[in-house]
Amino acid sequence: MTSVLSRTPRQATSDTLPVLIEGGGAAGITAGLDLAAAGRRVHLIERSGHLGGQMLNLDKIYPTDHCAFCPLWTDIRRLQTDPRITVHLSSRIESLDTTGEGSLATIRTEPPLIAPERCIGCGACFDACAPGAVKPPGEHVYPPSFRIDRDLCNRCGSCVGICPSAAIDLAREEERETLKVGQVIRAAGFIEADLKPLPEFGYGLHPDIMTSLEFEAWTAEAGPNDGRIVRKSGGGRPANIAFVQCSGARDDRLLPWCSAVCCMHALKQSSWVKRRDPGIDCCIFYTDLRTVGRDYYAYSRRAEDKAGVRLVRGRPGLIHPLPGGGIAVKFEDTLTQKREIRRFDMVVLNGNLRPSAGDRYENGAEPPAEACGFAAEPADVAQSAWQGSAAAMMAISRDKEGPCRA
Amino acid sequence: MPGVMVFLCRCCGRIPPTVDLLALGEKIGREEGVAVVETRDTLCLPEDRAAMLRSFEESGASGILVAACSPYGKAGDVVTTLSAACDGDRSHVRLVDIREGCAWIHRGDPAGATAKAGDLIRMNLGFLRHGKRSADAVVAVRPECIVVGAGSAGMAAALSIARAGHRVHLVERGMGGGGMLKLLSHVYPTDAGAEEKLKPSLEAISAQPLIVFHAKTRVVAATGYAGDFKIRLASGTGETNLHVGAVILATGAGVWLPRGLYRYGELKEVLTLMELERRRREGRESPRRTVFIHCVGARCPERPYCATICCPSSIKNAAWIKRADPGAEVTILHRDIMMPGAILERYYRGALEAGVRFVRFAADAPPVVSGDGKVENVSVFDAINGVEREIAADQVILSTPLVANADNAKLADLFHIGIDRYGFFREDDPLHPLETRQAGVFICGSARWPVASGDAAAQGEGAAMKALAILGRERLSARSLSRLPEGKLGHARIEDGFCSGCGNCVAVCPYEACALQKVGGALVSRANKMRCRACGSCMSVCPNGTIQMPEHNARAVGAMIRRAFSPREAR
Repeated sequence: MTSVLSRTPRQATSDTLPVLIEGGGAAGITAGLDLAAAGRRVHLIERSGHLGGQMLNLDKIYPTDHCAFCPLWTDIRRLQTDPRITVHLSSRIESLDTTGEGSLATIRTEPPLIAPERCIGCGACFDACAPGAVKPPGEHVYPPSFRIDRDLCNRCGSCVGICPSAAIDLAREEERETLKVGQVIRAAGFIEADLKPLPEFGYGLHPDIMTSLEFEAWTAEAGPNDGRIVRKSGGGRPANIAFVQCSGARDDRLLPWCSAVCCMHALKQSSWVKRRDPGIDCCIFYTDLRTVGRDYYAYSRRAEDKAGVRLVRGRPGLIHPLPGGGIAVKFEDTLTQKREIRRFDMVVLNGNLRPSAGDRYENGAEPPAEACGFAAEPADVAQSAWQGSAAAMMAISRDKEGPCRA
Repeated sequence: MPGVMVFLCRCCGRIPPTVDLLALGEKIGREEGVAVVETRDTLCLPEDRAAMLRSFEESGASGILVAACSPYGKAGDVVTTLSAACDGDRSHVRLVDIREGCAWIHRGDPAGATAKAGDLIRMNLGFLRHGKRSADAVVAVRPECIVVGAGSAGMAAALSIARAGHRVHLVERGMGGGGMLKLLSHVYPTDAGAEEKLKPSLEAISAQPLIVFHAKTRVVAATGYAGDFKIRLASGTGETNLHVGAVILATGAGVWLPRGLYRYGELKEVLTLMELERRRREGRESPRRTVFIHCVGARCPERPYCATICCPSSIKNAAWIKRADPGAEVTILHRDIMMPGAILERYYRGALEAGVRFVRFAADAPPVVSGDGKVENVSVFDAINGVEREIAADQVILSTPLVANADNAKLADLFHIGIDRYGFFREDDPLHPLETRQAGVFICGSARWPVASGDAAAQGEGAAMKALAILGRERLSARSLSRLPEGKLGHARIEDGFCSGCGNCVAVCPYEACALQKVGGALVSRANKMRCRACGSCMSVCPNGTIQMPEHNARAVGAMIRRAFSPREAR
């Protein structure tokens, strides 16, 4: 371990209460590491069974086109080994009582039936499970551990005896714990909103109509197809792919906001499709191509001019499977005022992101809570990370005199 | 006991029978330098890990080799445990992947898998014979900080650090704090008055005894590294030397003037957004008909970027004109409306509801401002309706991008950090957006990339948070300046007496850790441990092998390669 000497903080911090962080994605991890580096104790509450948040579901990150996993992996390992940070996986904040000095947080933990610290990742339970309740670890999950879906598990116990490292205990019940904490950082991130209420997107009607995160997983280099671009139906090579922006977003029927990250996300995905298979025709249907960060605009130029991604300004009015195979996309190119119905082999729906903690963004979170990352406002990796640092500083400043923001 | 202790993991029977651990253990046991071979069931489980550690400590062996799974599996934790036991000294610890890389991928070929596992172990045994540990460096941290630039970002950073109990030098090249906010009338998306927003911060700074404000001052020289920077400031009254532990660069950005575009400079009713802000601050009313033109000098070949703040800034002013005078005709000519997120989208809709008209034009068909002696008309091809439009106008507002300060290049040079092709300070990677390639130097606000004042302030706080991790320590070791939980891999070491001073290492080092110095009349290279990030670039270009990474020195790597390519039968 790094010499303890260099990590010892100048000031004793035993008098300050630990900071409670909700969410272990890019924002929560950054806030937790920053607070611990400044000598503060941290409780990090993560709903899923592993750290990393939505960043784990990204094969590549824009605009660097680097893997998402490497920088994340070192940060996750640092988080797990830092003695000041207590990570609560598979947990939720059930209640937060802020009436007294500090806050009392009740944490409900649904411990995984397969203990991650004991699972060796061999997959024996997966082979033995008849109802298919055992799920393999995601490609970028660290540490890699199988897990059991409680709803699908029939408690037959066939996995228990076969597990070579005695990692499975089907009788594990949920636990409750009360923590005394000071400041609270909300960084629960986003989830995908269900697009089925908007029938024109055709979501659920055809396996090749998928959301952008499903497409990311399907085409990931470490994914089921080793990075090759193939159709879900039949596995053949698609001739063309449509990326439909603002799916469910900037739309009062579902999500009135712009999800901010989807334009670059589609440019990244289409560029990578072109990189892996230049023969596939990629077409992005957009309203405003929002490329506001460093190198984002240059990235969009590269995608269009060099990679040959086609950009069509228009919001498709109908997406529907065709009887003979393929998917029809009906749209108006608003820059040429031409209406068209075109056949695509795959359709990627982009934009249906909503805060995972509720229906609205917490950009007006009340003290002692401070929100950051996608929980506060649609944000990409870089924005989530600096907001995480800012929220950490806010937590420390609040313990002193109050926020420093102009 | 001299020699290496080898642990083979059975992984509960997931490595054998494909890899024959019995035969492997026997063969490895006969290798030179191996003290003992132990086979265990599951090295990743806490109980086995503890037993392994005990056994290793009792044996007193000089090194340890663990043959188990991939470091991205469970074995990463095993190495963390072992490194911790050796006080971070990984020169005695090797991990060999015989599960994913041997047993699993060669499932149908047990003999081949076993032979490959043997090769990998032998290679790593060779490595362990030559693995060395580089010396660490520890500096006493100066508990003070410098913040360059007193705009939104710099003020927030300075206040945050001061409240955490550290002295801050806030250096501003102008007279007072405030930066770009001083030029604005109101700020989006709250529509709060810029002055009211600025006042509490300025008051807090002058009331804060730990903040030393250096007005009309510039940084002229800087040396040092995280924990220990020596900085020289120059002002009209003379020079000041500072000695600080961390550096925050918050120098903001500049306003670009659209000379020669859209008849700016020729017709006095053609204004930039900043000039409109000034008129608004002065309480001057806008004429009845206003046309805003977006992306003036942005998203073009000379400045191929979107400057983030121009769309919301002009929408802010357009809505203000329209709300102040509902009879006003306000039109925004744009290429894309860059209002990402929930707050800005709502703000954009607010302007639409107020009655601001939006017309989209194509980059290759920009609008034309016409008028004889004064602005009369703007003609534009409405790309969405496919019609040419003539819009009568009394004034035209040009929405121009922020540009990087000319000073950035010099500051980047002084502090050895990167700038991007537009001249803004470059971050390390997207997950660490406020950190630079130099530990202890942090960036925030529009000097990093154009941002709104509120975001700039939040970034300032974030940068302060990063700086506190250094300022809060009494001593800082070079090895701890790493994102790896085990600490930095090592540092480049330059053997005295052999360096010819060719400077190859200086040219390739991305962190500017290598520098030529005059020692005894000759130029030789020196590697700074605080700056070195153990990338090994210098080692690969050194013509005579004088630079070595002790943890990955040439003899160790050479031993690995020799063993990898020597014929199997000969062993």
